[in-house]
Formats: sequence, structure tokens, C-alpha cells
Amino acid sequence: MPTLPKWLSEVGWRTVIGALLLGGIIHITATLAVPLVSSGPAFTKLRDTLPANRMVVLPPLAPGKQPLPYLPPDALYAMCRYDISVDSLTVTAAMAHAGWTLSLHTPQGDNFYVMPAQESRRGDISLTVVPSAERLGEFATTPRRVSAQETLVASPSWEGLVVVRAPLKGLAWRAEAETALRRATCTPVKRQ
Amino acid sequence: MLTSRVPAHGRERGATRGDSLSLITNILINLAAFALLAVGGGLGSAWYMIEAGSRLSTRSSGPWMTWSAAGRPDADPYTRAHTVRNALLPLASTLEITYQAKADSRGGRLQAGCEYAIVMEGLDGGTWWSLAAFDGQGGLIHNTAERYAFSSDSVMREPDGRAIITLARDARPGNWLPIGGSKVNLVLTVQDAAWAAAVHEGGAKALPPIQRLACR
Repeated sequence: MPTLPKWLSEVGWRTVIGALLLGGIIHITATLAVPLVSSGPAFTKLRDTLPANRMVVLPPLAPGKQPLPYLPPDALYAMCRYDISVDSLTVTAAMAHAGWTLSLHTPQGDNFYVMPAQESRRGDISLTVVPSAERLGEFATTPRRVSAQETLVASPSWEGLVVVRAPLKGLAWRAEAETALRRATCTPVKRQ
Repeated sequence: MLTSRVPAHGRERGATRGDSLSLITNILINLAAFALLAVGGGLGSAWYMIEAGSRLSTRSSGPWMTWSAAGRPDADPYTRAHTVRNALLPLASTLEITYQAKADSRGGRLQAGCEYAIVMEGLDGGTWWSLAAFDGQGGLIHNTAERYAFSSDSVMREPDGRAIITLARDARPGNWLPIGGSKVNLVLTVQDAAWAAAVHEGGAKALPPIQRLACR
């Protein structure tokens, strides 16, 4: 049977219990702190390349030309970095085929709204991004439809990302997908 | 005896010095153990839970692993930290599940020097999926065919509806997905709300095995 080093017998049980307690506190603190102090969130990486409140169609993904790691490469992307601290934002996009998605993310990467294209729901969609109740200090603003074509979405943060993903069926469909993506818009509107 | 000639107060002084030394050593050992356990254990366990994941935050099926609450605003702290630390931008796992595989079905690390086959079946019926190959850091693997993924839209199927995807460094007939570099990570994205709900509730979903065919 292996024998423990002699110095280990010097370690008191109070030390072990105390260390485990402090270790637990460090574990929890480190886990909760990562989203707050990490320098590498997707939003930070994209902040310099995306102008505020404007939809940008990204070039096709290629080695060394990926805006983010592990993005599905068989798709074209349009992204809009939004800032609704002054105005709200209207987003329109075409959901042309199955697999297309329109998603909204906080700077920490939380996807708080997503609209997928479905067989029964294709065509242009429109939504308005407004600050959430906590941000405005008003009554709760939950996602709701304000008309047949338009939806109101409350953003939990002042800033965030709108991502339109257009999966490619093949090279022959690239031009068609790019044309549909270029119709996507991201426009500030005065808050009422 | 020699010691009997040492004055009593001298023996006491020596014993006290020895006790003090022993006490200091004991304190230092306890301090070192405390720091090692508290800081090393606390940070090390946090790093493991954020990078590798555990049963609390991930689900596995064969070689495939997914962070079951990825992208969701109500995700657990480990999942949120994993997403931020790796600069990921996942869709909410209520709609889309992203699986990652770093090993084949026999447990061997995926390597560019080997050839693998993946038979995609049981993922149809309106389900959109995509299988992509990345290097160890999530970068695309350079290849002259400029092919980085297959999806349910772009893959060629067998007469029975299955799709056989071959991963190899050099060209292969059929659905050839080039790999290169040293380490390879595979990412399988499945967009199906019913599938995602089943995974989130802990239901096991059968995913295609990754068969190693040969190695150089």
C-alpha cells in the first residue's frame, strides 16, 4: 500500500476544511466572473468590424477569415450590431428557405429571440427591438405582435447583435442567398 | 554523558528552538496546503467545469457532446461562461442543438492522418442539419476544394436516403469532407425544436457514430 509523504501528516483537518470552503468560494466567484471580465466574447470580437445599427453582409467564411470560431461555414451571414440607448431599432429580413434564422443576442451571447424559417412561415419578417422594462423603468415589455407583419421584442441589454443566417444549398444558390440577405435591414426609429 | 554536563537552561533553550522550528514548519506546510487546495482546487475545478463540462451542463451521445442550455438566457453559469470564454454565438438550444466531437466512436482523438466515415440517418423529416470540420481552435481547415461542411440540403444521398460522409485528407468519391492540420473537431448542428426539447429534458437521441476506417 502506498504511504503518504510525511509532510502530509502535518496538514491539519481544520486546514483542509477551511481550504475546501475557500476553494468553493473561489470556484463560484471565478465561474460567475468569466462572463463579466472575459476579453473574448463574440460581441467584443465583432464590435470593431460592425458599424452600429447597420446590417452588414459578411463575406463567405474561409480559413483565416472567420469572424468567430465554430460558426457553421456552409452559410452566409448578415449581422447588425445594435445600440438602442437612444432610439429603438427596426429589423427586416427575408426568411427564404428552411434553415434560415433571424436571431438576437446580448453582448454575453444569450440568444433572447430567434425566428426560424419554416414551411408555413416564409417571406419578409419585421420586428422592432426596444429596451426591456428593467432598462426603461416602465411596465413590462414582453415580445408581442403589434401588427400582422411586425413584432415588438424587448432587449435585456442596450447593445447586442442581430444575426441573419442563410444556409447555402450549394455554390449555385450563393447569389440568390446573397441577394435575399442584402434585403435585410437594421434601422433606428424614434422611441415613442 | 556529555548531555548531562550541559546546563539545564541550555537544554531548555535548545528544546524551545526545536519546538519553534517545528511550529514554523507546521505553519508553512499548512499554509502551502491551504493555498494549493483553495486556489488550485477552486480555479482548477472552475476551469474544468467551464471548458470540459460535466453532467450538470452537458449531454453526451457516443462521441458527441452538447451544452444543453447553450444560448438560452436562463442557461446555467457554466454554460454562460463557456459561451463567453470561447467567443461562441449559439442559437438558443430550444431551437437548435450544436454537438461537438473530438474523438471517434472508439474513443481515439480525431486526427487528420486518419480517415473516418459518418453515416447520417434518422435526422430527416424536416430537420435541418449541418456537419462541419474545424481545427482544434475552431478555425476552418484549408483545402483546395474549399469545402468545409455538408448540410441536409447539400449532401448527396444513397437510394435509401442515408448520406455517407467521408472525412479524409485526400479526395474521396462521394461526400468527401477534407480534414487537415493535426487535431480535428467535428460540429454537428441540428435545427429541430422537438429534438431540442427532448435533449433539454434529458432524453437520449441517437447520433451517427464516427467510424475510423484507416490511419496512415
